[in-house]
Amino acid sequence: MSTGSDLDKSAGQLIQKGTKLKFRLAFIKAALLDIFFVFYSILVLQRAIYYKFILELRELPFSWTETGIIFFASIILGTFWTWSRTSLSSRLFGIAKKNKTTELTVEIFGWFLFNITFIAGWIVTKVSLVSLFSSEGIQGANRIFGALFKPEFGIFNDALFAIIETIYIALLATLISIPPSLLVSFFTARNLMKDNKISLGVYYILRIILNFIRSIEPLIWAIIFSVWVGIGPFAGMIALLVHTIASNAKLYSEAIESIEAGPVEAISATGARKIQIVWFAVLPQIFLPFLSFTIYRWDINVRMATVIGLVGGGGIGTMLIQYQGLARWHEVGLIILLISIVVWIMDYISARVREAIY
Amino acid sequence: MILRVKDLHKIYKGGTHALKGITFDVSEGEFLVIIGLSGSGKSTLLRCINRLIEPTSGTIEFVGKDITHVQGEELRKTKMQIGMVFQQFNLIKRRSVLTNVITGKLGALPSFTSIIEKYPGEVYNEAYKCLETVGIRDKARERADSLSGGQQQRVAIARSLMQNPRLLLADEPVASLDPATSNSVMLYFEKINKEIGTTVICNLHFLSLVRRYAARVIALKAGEIIYEGAPSSIDEKWFKTIYGEEAQEVEIR
Repeated sequence: MSTGSDLDKSAGQLIQKGTKLKFRLAFIKAALLDIFFVFYSILVLQRAIYYKFILELRELPFSWTETGIIFFASIILGTFWTWSRTSLSSRLFGIAKKNKTTELTVEIFGWFLFNITFIAGWIVTKVSLVSLFSSEGIQGANRIFGALFKPEFGIFNDALFAIIETIYIALLATLISIPPSLLVSFFTARNLMKDNKISLGVYYILRIILNFIRSIEPLIWAIIFSVWVGIGPFAGMIALLVHTIASNAKLYSEAIESIEAGPVEAISATGARKIQIVWFAVLPQIFLPFLSFTIYRWDINVRMATVIGLVGGGGIGTMLIQYQGLARWHEVGLIILLISIVVWIMDYISARVREAIY
Repeated sequence: MILRVKDLHKIYKGGTHALKGITFDVSEGEFLVIIGLSGSGKSTLLRCINRLIEPTSGTIEFVGKDITHVQGEELRKTKMQIGMVFQQFNLIKRRSVLTNVITGKLGALPSFTSIIEKYPGEVYNEAYKCLETVGIRDKARERADSLSGGQQQRVAIARSLMQNPRLLLADEPVASLDPATSNSVMLYFEKINKEIGTTVICNLHFLSLVRRYAARVIALKAGEIIYEGAPSSIDEKWFKTIYGEEAQEVEIR
């Protein structure tokens, strides 16, 4: 049995070691970020300010050697800057000296970064007020808007069936997603998985897979599945399903992670079995968030199903892209009108239902 | 002796040494109160006794049986005999009062019947009896979170009564209630102790409540017992030792 003072001593050493390690880690992070900041600033200054505004070049030249030299210079400058412990990054990671220089650097450089980023963005997106307000452009806009506001009701029946298809694509994707996301969510809830190494491993692997799936937009899933199972509503449904499982599993597991520990402790203190604890103390706490997320997801899926239709996922989106391709703007007008009405209704219903739940 | 605690130590994962060699006995039918500042180890001690957490070293003997390191089914059986009431009530908020009371019996009910919630008639009768003991039989059908704080704590007491516990632990049961309600809730603990004969160990903050209800007091400071005896002999000097020089006694009526 070790005594209290022994414990205190070793703890003290540990803390000292920990702070040293922490400082080094923070320094490395800060240096890397500073190098990036310097590199980024020089690049933007060179390309956006020097080439564009001073030399007024139309096409910006690019060479790897030049970029390499800038990068090399940034490594030296950035590291030196962090070393002085007055840089923006050293402040961000909490290792900066507390003096006037730091404050001034942070303030000036912060503003500098913000401004050059804005300017770079302006150039990259090729913002052009001339094309926005040219008379030709405005004429074109007039033509389209005029047509859109006089929708062609001749295709109303077809459009109605198409949007019903879209709603069902979204509904089926949401319904089928429930069991798999439920199952996965218990394995991606940290509070249930942290107790031993194997389960923690499963937790991390599943999280990585889910993050990967979620980072690919449904639009891209739809392109993949329209090749796999052929263009049509089925491809759209599977695309939505895959994305919905990944997203809902995350939301569900977050709900599981945020339950109150008190009831769980109280029920387990009565000598209840594991399954009874889950049934009486965990499930009642997560049921309503689960229901609410699912309804919200259906609402999102109706909107996404429309977009997915544009790349061959069936439903109203497919119809829209066809008429758009034929430049039949009156028909497009009707479709857009129908989509906005349905989306608005879905949005309203899902909001009201979720309100009623809580 | 219903409970014997010997040289109990608890060191948490982070290195906090919460209990440093606690030794005391509790006899059948006693009303023992544990006092001390927040962080003195009161909650840790109670949680060790009903084995919500496992002590680092030392022994806990409950009804003549060493329960310090029991696991699995045996641990479950031990928990069934010890009731516990918490500061935050810890009820299932969206379920009825009756369901909450019945959860006290879960350990004795088969998994399947409890999950489909088809209980035998006598379970309901028992639940109603427990609610009657704490005087809220008429609230049985209401949702647990629609009740006031004092009523919720009484539901929690009824839930622990459902276990027919040999020992009832209460972790600052009145700390989130107003003074008047505190007193009425404490009266139910007294009633259970006197009428049913259940042994009670209760953590308390307020000395006036301690003087009124305790048969014996143990004071903890930084994980060690610094006082053990009758509540009446806690004078000004002891009070300062337990709660620190700055402390002043506040009267709660």
